[in-house]
Amino acid sequence: MFRAPGFLWLLRHELVVLWRGSILVRTHRHILLPVLGVGVVFQGIALLLAGQIIRHKLPPAQMLLAANINVVFLAALMFSRAMTASIDVIYGRGDADFLLASPIPPGRVLAVRMLGVAVTIAAPWLLLGGVLANGLALRGQGWALAVYPVLLAEALLVAALAFALVTALLRRIGPAAARRAGNTLALGVGLGIFVLGQAPRFIAPQTLMRFWAALLPGPQGGGVAFLFARGLLGQGPDLATSLLLSFAVFVLAWRGLAGPFARGAITAAAYRPAGRAGVQSGVFRQSAFAALFAKDLRLLARFPGLFSQVVYRSLTLVPVAFILAGKGKAYGGLAVVAPLLVFLAGQLGLFFISVLRGSESAPGLADSAPVAAHLPARAGIAASGYAALLILALPVLATMARAPALLGALLAGLAGVLVSNLALGWRLPIPLVRAAFGKAQTGTVLGLILGLGVSCAWALAVWLLVSPRPFG
Amino acid sequence: MDASVTQAALEVRGLAKSFGRKVVEGLDLHIHPGEFYALLGPNGAGKTTTLRMIAGLMRPDAGSIRVFGRDVLADPLGAKAVMAWIPDEPLLYDRLSPLEYLAFVAGLWQVPPALAKSRADELLETLGLWPHRHERCEGFSRGMKQKTVLAGALIHDPKFLLLDEPLTGLDAAAARLVKDLLRRHVERGAAIILTTHILEVAERLASRIGILSGGLLLAEGDLPALRAQAGVHGSLEDVFLHLTATA
Repeated sequence: MFRAPGFLWLLRHELVVLWRGSILVRTHRHILLPVLGVGVVFQGIALLLAGQIIRHKLPPAQMLLAANINVVFLAALMFSRAMTASIDVIYGRGDADFLLASPIPPGRVLAVRMLGVAVTIAAPWLLLGGVLANGLALRGQGWALAVYPVLLAEALLVAALAFALVTALLRRIGPAAARRAGNTLALGVGLGIFVLGQAPRFIAPQTLMRFWAALLPGPQGGGVAFLFARGLLGQGPDLATSLLLSFAVFVLAWRGLAGPFARGAITAAAYRPAGRAGVQSGVFRQSAFAALFAKDLRLLARFPGLFSQVVYRSLTLVPVAFILAGKGKAYGGLAVVAPLLVFLAGQLGLFFISVLRGSESAPGLADSAPVAAHLPARAGIAASGYAALLILALPVLATMARAPALLGALLAGLAGVLVSNLALGWRLPIPLVRAAFGKAQTGTVLGLILGLGVSCAWALAVWLLVSPRPFG
Repeated sequence: MDASVTQAALEVRGLAKSFGRKVVEGLDLHIHPGEFYALLGPNGAGKTTTLRMIAGLMRPDAGSIRVFGRDVLADPLGAKAVMAWIPDEPLLYDRLSPLEYLAFVAGLWQVPPALAKSRADELLETLGLWPHRHERCEGFSRGMKQKTVLAGALIHDPKFLLLDEPLTGLDAAAARLVKDLLRRHVERGAAIILTTHILEVAERLASRIGILSGGLLLAEGDLPALRAQAGVHGSLEDVFLHLTATA
C-alpha cells in the first residue's frame, strides 16, 4: 500500500532545495569549506566583541530597550524578506503545482513551505546573532544562547504573517504587484535604518536622549511589547511564551491557508498575470544595434524591483546632496563628492548589466540573426551605461556648478569605472534573477565581490586625484 | 531564370558533430526552394543539433552547409540573413509586447521600418494577435507565445525556415492557421525544414521526409519512397517505427 512521504522527508527536501537555491550555493559548487572558514573568523571576532559587551554592561532598562530595538528591526527585515520568499515558494519557483499533483497531502506541502520561509529568513540572523551569543556564552553569559529559540520564534511568527499577507495580496493584485509591495517594504525598512543612523548628525543630542528615554520600558518590564526582548535576555517564562505565541500564530495561519492551497487557489496556476500594456508600442528601426539597445532599455525598465534596488544603491546620493547643498561639512567637504559618485556609477553599472544578463531569456534569437557576435554585448553595455549616467546626470551637473575643478577627475573616473564594471558584469553578472525551476543561474558572487572591488578602486583613485591630503 | 530557383535552398554535405558520442554522422541533405521537408527521428536522434548547426548556432566537427548558396561556416551573417530559426522552446521576452518583439526582430534583420510595420500588422492580424499587440507576453498562453515567435520568424520574410516542433502548444484552430501560413510561405518559393513528433503533420505538410536515428539519415523521400525503402506498406507511423527499430 502506498504511504505518502512524511513531514520530515518533505521538510528535508524543501531545505535541500532552499540551500541549493541560496545565493552562495547556486553560484558556487564548493562553498561549504570557505563558509566554515569565514564562520570561524567571525566567531573569533565575536569572542572579542563579547568581552567588550560584558565590560560595558548597560543598566537593565537600557539593555531591555536595546534588545527590543534589535527584535523590532529584525522583525521588519525578516518580514520584507519573508514576503519575497513567500512569493518565490508559492509562485516563482514553479514547483508548487508539481507537488500538489503528487499524492502528498496539500496541507503538509503548505506547512513545509511556510517552515521553509521561516528558516530562510531566520538563517542569516541566526548565523550572525549566533556567533555573538556563542561568544557571550563562552565568557559565562549562558543566557545569550536564548537568541537561537527567540530568533526561530520570531521567524515563525513573521513567516506566518507574511505568508498570509502575501496570499491576500496575490489574490487581489497578483504576484508582480505583491513582489513590488515586498520590495517597497524592504526599501522602507532599509531607508528607516539609514535615516536613524544619520539622525545624530541632524538632531540635537538632548532631543535624541528624550526620544530614547520615552521608549524605555517601565518598572514592570514593558509588558507584551517587550515579550520577545525579555526572552532574548534569557528570561525563561517570557522565552516560553514567545515560542508558544509564535507557534500558535503559525498554526492558525497554516489552518486558514491550507484549504485554499489544497484547492489550488494560491499556487502559480491561479495567477496568470493579465497582459499589461507596454509603455511604448513597438518602434521599428532598421539598425540592429538600435533594436538591441531599445529592447535592453525596455527590459531594464520593466525589471521587477528596479525602483527599490536603484534607490537602495543610490543612498550614496544623500551625503552627496547634502555636501553639494553646502550642509555637509561633516562628510569631508566638496572633494569627497567625486569618489562617491564614481563608486555609485560602478555599482549602478554592475547592477544594470546584471539585470540585462539575468533577463536575457532568448539569447539564441540574436545569435540566429545576421548581426555580428559582439553586437548584443555592446548594446547591453551601452544601455546599462546610459541608464547609470541618466541617474548620475543631475549630481554631475550640480558638481559642475559647485566645484568645476572636480569635473575632469570625476568624468574620467565615471568613464573608467563604468567601462570596467560593465565589461566585468557582462562576464560575471551578480545574481539578481533567481533561476526558474529547471533553469541555470546566471549570476555569481565572485562578480559581486570583484565589482565592489572595482568600484572601490576607481573611487580611491579619484579620491587621491582630487584630494590634496587624502588621509590627512 | 532567377538564380535562387536553380540554387538549392539547403545543401548539407558530410555533416558531423559529437559531444563525446557521435550525435550527427555524415549527414547529407538537399532541399529545394519551394520544398517542405520534415526531419523525423526518435528522441536524441540528432534533429535539434542538425537544425542548430544549419542555423549557424553550433559549429559542426566536419562537413559543409550552404543556404541559398551562402556558406554557413564561411559567411554566417550572409546565411543568417535569409534564414529564420524557431526552437522548441519559444525565444521570447516576457516583458515585451508582441509589437515590441516584432520591432526588435525586424531591427535584428534590418528590415526597412515601413515594410516591417506593415508586415507586423499583417502577421498580428493573421495570427489573431492584433487585440493583444500591446500586452506583455508574460500573460500569454503557450500557444500565443508560439504564434508571436512565428510572427517574429516571418517578419523578415525568410527564404529558408528552420522549425523545431513548431506546433507544440497550439490548439487545433491555431495549428491549422500556422500550417496554412507555412504552406503559403512555401508556395511563394521559400523552403522549410521542420522537426516534429506528430507524424501526421509531417505526412500532411511535407513533400519529402527524412528519418534520422543515431545521427544517421536512415531513409529519405516522399511516403511511397519511404515505404519502398523500409519494405513496409502501411502508414508513416508504421514506416517510421520499422526503420527506427531496425536501426
